[in-house]
Amino acid sequence: MLEVRHLKVWYGVTEVLRDVSFEVPEGRIVALLGGNGSGKTTIINTLSGLLRPRAGDIVFDGADVAGRPSDHMVKAGIVQVPQGREVFASMTVNENLELGAATRRDRAGIRDDVDRMYELFPHIAERRGQRAGSLSGGEQQQVAIGRALMARPKLLLMDEPSVGLSPIIVDMVIETVRALHARGLTILIVEQNVGVAAAVAEDAFVLKDGAIAFKGDAPGLIDNPEVLSSYLGR
Amino acid sequence: MEYLSYLVATGISTGALYALVALGIVVIYKATQVVNFAHGEMFMLGGFFAYTFHVMLDWPYLPSFALAVALAFGVGIAVDRVAFRPLMQRQTLVSVLLVMIGLSFVLKGVARWLWGGKGDYLTFPPLISPEPLSFAGIMVMSQQLVVLGAACAVMVAFALFFKLTRAGRFMQATADNPKAAKLVGLRTDRVYMYTFGVGSAVAAAAAVLMAPLTLLYPDIGFMLFIKAFAAAVLGGLTSIPGAVVGGFLIGIIEQLAAGYLHTAMQEVAAFIVIMIVMIFIPTGLFGLGRMRKV
Repeated sequence: MLEVRHLKVWYGVTEVLRDVSFEVPEGRIVALLGGNGSGKTTIINTLSGLLRPRAGDIVFDGADVAGRPSDHMVKAGIVQVPQGREVFASMTVNENLELGAATRRDRAGIRDDVDRMYELFPHIAERRGQRAGSLSGGEQQQVAIGRALMARPKLLLMDEPSVGLSPIIVDMVIETVRALHARGLTILIVEQNVGVAAAVAEDAFVLKDGAIAFKGDAPGLIDNPEVLSSYLGR
Repeated sequence: MEYLSYLVATGISTGALYALVALGIVVIYKATQVVNFAHGEMFMLGGFFAYTFHVMLDWPYLPSFALAVALAFGVGIAVDRVAFRPLMQRQTLVSVLLVMIGLSFVLKGVARWLWGGKGDYLTFPPLISPEPLSFAGIMVMSQQLVVLGAACAVMVAFALFFKLTRAGRFMQATADNPKAAKLVGLRTDRVYMYTFGVGSAVAAAAAVLMAPLTLLYPDIGFMLFIKAFAAAVLGGLTSIPGAVVGGFLIGIIEQLAAGYLHTAMQEVAAFIVIMIVMIFIPTGLFGLGRMRKV
């Protein structure tokens, strides 16, 4: 579904991604791991069209989408749940969900999907008229995931969904990711937390200094002391 | 008492117009983090557009109003394309501010070139008979009532635009969280463009309403900008209801200052309010409680 080949991304004069290649097959959950500054968020923001690569291909559903702006990526089906949730804080939960469908025009479909989100996240259904900024971190995470799903993504990008959340909420996020996967959604999850990645993902790529340093199956990572110590600083 | 109520009534009707201009400043600031120092010139141009259609071409008032507002919308979009977008892409906020100030001088020059040579101050015919009316012992100009009513209608239309339309929602979302707006697929550069357009259109509406009550001249924009900016600052710079309340308060304050202190105070009152607010309540009456750099 997604194939990234020899991706190079620069921030001004700094090369952040040197040469990154990996693939996300349809229907899989793939984890991208790495320490701080390894380039994980850069990859996800490039896939979302927030950053332009200097070189390399991003092939999605057979088309090269590298360098396209964010609205194209969303329409193509690549949608991001950003790190730190980034909800529209001054707007209601309901408005946040509706804005997730900003690129869609089918009113009836949007309305049905909003109801579906409330079925998936009954907890935020009770707070649909509340400002998203007044919710707890876990509730905001649900709003952020719901908002991304409203665009009907083919590939969901999740940037550190466990960061800043309590262990109970992290379990909830893991459950949600599994439930979405069971419905056939393809997911690329970026994590610093190896436990979360090992719990949900099937394949894993480990990033170090802007390049892929290791690839393997995700559940096995936790028993791989070499990977843990050399790449993830454990 | 009668004098006081007269001053307050006058203050409310001019305040409604300051509120309209302040709305544009706030909407653009919220979306782009930039104070549009050329915003007063959008007001000035709106007035001159209406003057061209209504006085020079002798068209009826309402079509002239509509066309002036539409043209100002276009000028706002041009400001975004020419001044804001190319500079913001290089991430230099200070350059944007300087260009906005420069642009305000350029537009003043253009206005002088196009509409100059007809005397310094242009008069706009009254909307309805200038007879004063008496309401419970308060003397009001009937024109002021019409202007107040129309200004309130524009404010309500503005609020409904944000609440009910997709474009309004998108503007609100982009102002709230530009990164998230991009991630849901909004073309934020377009949203900024329309924000400039809408802000200018509302300023022009205020100008066309105010024109029959006052005189038009190429420098009118600056004075209006200062008053509206004072209103916006008083309201917290990021709050739309704050801009409205601020507008009415500035209108009333300057009338009281002129009536009880000295007529010259009318022009100075707004500056004094800006200073007092900046020193004592830097977040304004409806501010978010956090400061941003201008």
